Amino acid sequence: MKPLRSLFLAPAAALMIVTIAVPLAIICFYSLLTRGAYGGVERPWTTENYRLLFDPLYGAIFLRSFWIAAVATALCLVLGFPLALFIARSGSRKNLYLSLVILPFWTSFLIRTYAWMFLLRDTGLINTGLQAAGLIHTPLPMLYNDGAVILGLVYGYLPFTVLPLYATLERLDKSLLEAAADLGSPPWNTLFRVMLPLCAPGIRAGAILVFVPCLGTYLTSDLLGGSKTILIGNLVQNQFTAARDWPFGAAASLTLMAVAMALLFAVRRQGEELL
Amino acid sequence: MKRGLALYATAVYVFLHVPLLILAVFSFNASRFTVWRGFTLYWYQAAAADRELVESAMNSLIIAVGSTVLATVIGTLGAYGLWKRGSNWLAGSLYLSLVTPEIVTGVSLLAFFQWVFRFLDLRLGMHTVILAHVAFSVAYVVVVVMARLRTFDPALEEAALDLGATEWVAFRKVTLPHLAPAVAAAAMLAFTISIDDYVITSLVAGVDSQTLPMAIYALARRGVNPMLNAVSTVVIVALGAIVLFSERLRSA
Amino acid sequence: MNRRVFLMSVAGAAGCGGGVPRLNVYNWSDYVAPDTIPGFEREFRVRVHYGTYESIPEMLAKVMSGNSGWDVVFPSAEYVRPMREMGLVAPLRHDWLPNLQALDAAFQHPSWDPELRWSVPYMHGTTGIAYQRSLAPQPRAWSDLWDERLRGRITMLDDPPEVLGACLKKLGYSLNSGDPNELRRAKQEAIAQKRLLRAYLNAEVRDQLVAGDVGAAQAWAVTAAQAIAAARGELAFVLPAEGFARFADNMAILRESRRSELAHHFIDYLLRPEVAAKIVQATRTATANGAAHKLLPPEIRENPVLYPPPEVLARGEWFEPQSAASQSLRDRLWTEIKSA
Repeated sequence: MKPLRSLFLAPAAALMIVTIAVPLAIICFYSLLTRGAYGGVERPWTTENYRLLFDPLYGAIFLRSFWIAAVATALCLVLGFPLALFIARSGSRKNLYLSLVILPFWTSFLIRTYAWMFLLRDTGLINTGLQAAGLIHTPLPMLYNDGAVILGLVYGYLPFTVLPLYATLERLDKSLLEAAADLGSPPWNTLFRVMLPLCAPGIRAGAILVFVPCLGTYLTSDLLGGSKTILIGNLVQNQFTAARDWPFGAAASLTLMAVAMALLFAVRRQGEELL
Repeated sequence: MKRGLALYATAVYVFLHVPLLILAVFSFNASRFTVWRGFTLYWYQAAAADRELVESAMNSLIIAVGSTVLATVIGTLGAYGLWKRGSNWLAGSLYLSLVTPEIVTGVSLLAFFQWVFRFLDLRLGMHTVILAHVAFSVAYVVVVVMARLRTFDPALEEAALDLGATEWVAFRKVTLPHLAPAVAAAAMLAFTISIDDYVITSLVAGVDSQTLPMAIYALARRGVNPMLNAVSTVVIVALGAIVLFSERLRSA
Repeated sequence: MNRRVFLMSVAGAAGCGGGVPRLNVYNWSDYVAPDTIPGFEREFRVRVHYGTYESIPEMLAKVMSGNSGWDVVFPSAEYVRPMREMGLVAPLRHDWLPNLQALDAAFQHPSWDPELRWSVPYMHGTTGIAYQRSLAPQPRAWSDLWDERLRGRITMLDDPPEVLGACLKKLGYSLNSGDPNELRRAKQEAIAQKRLLRAYLNAEVRDQLVAGDVGAAQAWAVTAAQAIAAARGELAFVLPAEGFARFADNMAILRESRRSELAHHFIDYLLRPEVAAKIVQATRTATANGAAHKLLPPEIRENPVLYPPPEVLARGEWFEPQSAASQSLRDRLWTEIKSA
């Protein structure tokens, strides 16, 4: 009996070895080597690539990526929480409302980013409309700044916060809220003192699900940011393409990954399943 | 408070849907610019006549179908195997693949392929893209199938075994039918992830494997283009249809 | 089917596919006419897989492994020598390229490859400033792109040598400078300019110039010529007073190519005067093909954006390959500019 059971696992195990374990091991090796003149890696072994990450230049890029990801995450939570609450309380229409959140998420990430390029540019719909209405005379510069990048990220990842928030709000014991109201707690007080603490697991899960992918993004900063900013994602991608510094790119990606893992473990220690 | 909440929710729904609707509407605009100049199907014809776009859409379909089939089979077997006897390191590595930032997955696979190709006479192409797609979608399949397995009573399978069925027959005749809706949903999920991926694909793609997202990115980098509105609308409608269909399957 | 056969068939399917011979051509976007590739396919009864890239590093990243699958690529002049040193390009057989004589005399013996052993010049161009005619005063020099009044309406190319080159020229240095002090000063200039910039854009600046979103842009002459043609008199192009970059894109065959003869036929086909002339008419690029140039209608042949007079071209400077040390300093300075 035993061998067959293992056979069920074998394909997945083989796949994971080939596509996760070995590639990550190679990246580890690369991160400890020296860059070749025209790309690739050479000896000698060195920890220089990691030391370089402590350079203020790259430190600033990491901080900046953290900042942008944090702002996007916060906005996702602020936008997502009331929506999740609304859905959780809408009775029989729950499923419809929920799929309305997920539907745009199924269209391509690139297309969603492109949709905002289309709207935000100087001759885009918003500027043309405002000018036609006589509200402004010169177009507002909406594209190619951090605001546009954050907008793109929020738009791209909002469903990731709504789903876990909805899941916890759905399970929320309504009698607790009623008890608070009976005891004379005003609605805002109930929200902050009772509801939010009870929703902490959903908030944490939603935050992580947005924060981690935002941290590694590079498409949004390229297309909506006009290549004016450089985030960790751009840095890593750039090392493997234009700059041809594979060892440094490997060190930067492992650091990015370590940060992502650390965040996840911080959340998991609370004893919650993310997915 | 309740009215306020509904108003707020409506605003967020507008935020989520209107950009895509506008994109779709302007794909029928006779002008290149954001001024309405009448209805046309010109941009759809232009997109359909663009060889690079059509070829990359075909590639995307082949890759998505291929990787979906593989990922669904491997993932379903894996989920079942994990359910029967846990394997911490397999669960851990699936989890790892789920949380690795895309760019890291992409560069590590690229480094791996380049390293392997030093010993084999192979090159980047459809096969490397398919393998990469299977790699990142298999974890999603496992998660979806696993959720369904948790609602399955192992006693049913044990009964089949007691009645003399082999383990394989018990899996196929008893467990798999119960899993069918989840397997279908997982396949849809894998398909949509595969057809949408840009970051990983662009790194491991070779000569013959430019995909639709790569073509879209190249076009978007060259600026706003009504042809791209048309392509986007087709993708939105097609993926929307798949998702609605899979919802049907799941609720059936 | 044993595993070896399976692997080989997968590789084969990826490489050629079907019985018709295939040629894989990797070129800049907008660099052929719509019927150029179909014409070659019909005449030689082959399939051409035509892919495009937006920058040389993008192309180089793909072909560097030596097993990318591409046959013909179009490196810029300053990359011909590095690609040769990396062993990426194959020597050309001139007996398979009878149309070489069609080349303009100025490109028969280019400095980067005097004997045309590794590459054949294809298109050439300059980098200057494309601007709205309505601007007053009109830009004449790189330093005009540091004008506070144009804040938010300036774009620079998203390309390290071009941006650093413009800054170096503004300071009066060579755009190929490898001197760390000169490069650092150039970086300071770029950072000072950055807060005025709308974005770093390459070919996509064309539509924004036409739409009027951008006031003045560092742009390739090719992009500028396309924008000028689309904008009906509202746009102009100037080659800056301090000096400017000249570039040439060249056809080359990769060493890894298994279809060397067909690749030669393709290059020779692109060298045919009538084919080259059609390409120029469709793409508004400046051809290195003298015979084709003569076939062009006068308004294209005498277009000063594409074919500036010799006394203006004399201010230009060709890009040259950088030493490893200079290259890695430039990589770092670029990151500093981008993260400033």
